[in-house]
Amino acid sequence: MMARLVQVEGLTKVYGKVRALDGVTFDVEAGEWIAMMGPSGSGKTTLINILGGLDTPTSGRAVVDGVDVARFDEAGLTRYRAEKVGFVFQQFHLVPYLTAIENVMLAQYFHSTTDENEAKKALERVGLGDRLTHVPAQLSGGEQQRVAVARSLINHPKLLLADEPTGNLDETNEQIVIDLLRELHVEGHTILMVTHDPSIGRLADRRIDLAHGRLQQIITISAEN
Amino acid sequence: MFGRLLWQLLRGNRGRLAVALVAIVGGGAVISAMFNMEIDVRKKLTQEFRSLGANVVLSGQGAGDQALMRESAAEGVVERLQPQGTIASPFLYVVARTATNQPVVLAGTWLDRAPAITPWWQIQGEAVLARDDISHCLVGKNVARQFALAPGSDLELRYGDKVAHFSVSGIITAGDDEDDQVFANLAAVQNLSGLTDRIAMIQLRVPGSPAAIQSFASQLKIALPDVDARPIRQISETEGSLLARIQLLMITMALLILTLTGLCVLATMAALAMERRADVGLMKALGGSIGRIVRLFLAEVAVLGAVGGVLGYIFGAALTLWAGKRVFGVMISPRLEVLPLTIALMVGVALAGALPLRLLGKVKPAVILRGE
Repeated sequence: MMARLVQVEGLTKVYGKVRALDGVTFDVEAGEWIAMMGPSGSGKTTLINILGGLDTPTSGRAVVDGVDVARFDEAGLTRYRAEKVGFVFQQFHLVPYLTAIENVMLAQYFHSTTDENEAKKALERVGLGDRLTHVPAQLSGGEQQRVAVARSLINHPKLLLADEPTGNLDETNEQIVIDLLRELHVEGHTILMVTHDPSIGRLADRRIDLAHGRLQQIITISAEN
Repeated sequence: MFGRLLWQLLRGNRGRLAVALVAIVGGGAVISAMFNMEIDVRKKLTQEFRSLGANVVLSGQGAGDQALMRESAAEGVVERLQPQGTIASPFLYVVARTATNQPVVLAGTWLDRAPAITPWWQIQGEAVLARDDISHCLVGKNVARQFALAPGSDLELRYGDKVAHFSVSGIITAGDDEDDQVFANLAAVQNLSGLTDRIAMIQLRVPGSPAAIQSFASQLKIALPDVDARPIRQISETEGSLLARIQLLMITMALLILTLTGLCVLATMAALAMERRADVGLMKALGGSIGRIVRLFLAEVAVLGAVGGVLGYIFGAALTLWAGKRVFGVMISPRLEVLPLTIALMVGVALAGALPLRLLGKVKPAVILRGE
């Protein structure tokens, strides 16, 4: 039996008069790949931001690896982000004046100490062993996203949060990143991925559908197929 | 990694930072040039004031012969108390008569000290360079005109029943009472007047600040209670006042330049802070605390200030040499002690100008990562 890594209970987030999340409840087992789907404004990114410690809920609980993210103060959230989660964003979000290896080492720096050799291995792992000293402007979109994946994994996070990781990629690079996520899943990483693409969503173990901030359904992919 | 990040920050934003660096170098150059000049002007002014001659006068109290001091006693005390570099010269005044029975003031002093004590004298002819030369004298220009004297003329002077014969060595133009006097070495005047070991006053040229000079005069008064020791205030106070004004001017200018430099850095850093919101949002998302992130940026600014300070010092040294030669017509040497001062001031100004980086603390990573 797998351990429960994420436990979301009655999670609500209100921005002014808008309820971005409205009493969302679900669990994620360790090693699961979850696809989160829904139309724009359904609350997917808000949910992933709360689980990633980038935002705080108005009410409810979001327990990750045994700690309730909602209870952290600013300093606690900072440590949580450094130690428990890894992010992959749609826009890559690499520091433009740092090389590929330095972008990866930046995450190490904020976590604890840097290890250039480990950062190099992480980039080799995503097929960028020959792009270590390239700055983002010298990399293709797919390569930049692979740097972001290497960076997200460098501190061995419990939970990998990916917000539309293939949204800005062409078909070839999309396939490369998807294959990478598949490998990570096979290796046992827990992945929570926001996507609009049903074909990518079908690669996950389960799919969580949101609409207007509410949980619509949770579908186990193998059962759907 | 800190150093590596710092280097990449500096490289990655070199265009924007170059603007701030130019401002810091400009400010540093003017500041260091001003400090160089201030130090040198102070030194040169002090030298100029020193060239005005005596700044302390020691004289006896009372009237007539009672006002005369014992030369041996007074000089002994002066030699014991005087600061290093002091130049002293005794004076004895008598009214002698010429061969035609005309009165003339005869001053006895150490004529070898005249260039230091009365540097404003213009001497036509020869100065008297030996203290034991009792056969030569200098005469003021009015005396020379009155008695038709020129260098090489003989001058007979009588005091009571004693007569002394002098050869006029030079004619003095002093612009004051000294133009009406005859100057001979002290021993000659003491012999003629019979006032052996007697002097009317000692003029001293004392190095140091007005406060140090006042202190020396006070010590003399204590050591010689029957003697009046006083600084020549016009000189010492004018010197102090002028130096204080120059210092005030320099400090005001320095503050103005530092403020302008700081404002320029402030404007650049405000723009840079806006540009860096995305980087900071990302760094926060990766687990970077705002303290650690801002420390990185402050280190960048401090490096900028230090480099600007060093370059500013170098340009300031060139500016000092140029201004000294072309503006003041003198050689003003750059001072090494100005370097750390310039660096410290420029680092301080750069850090003060980095105040807008505080705004980065308010950056919400979720908002930035959404692209807002």
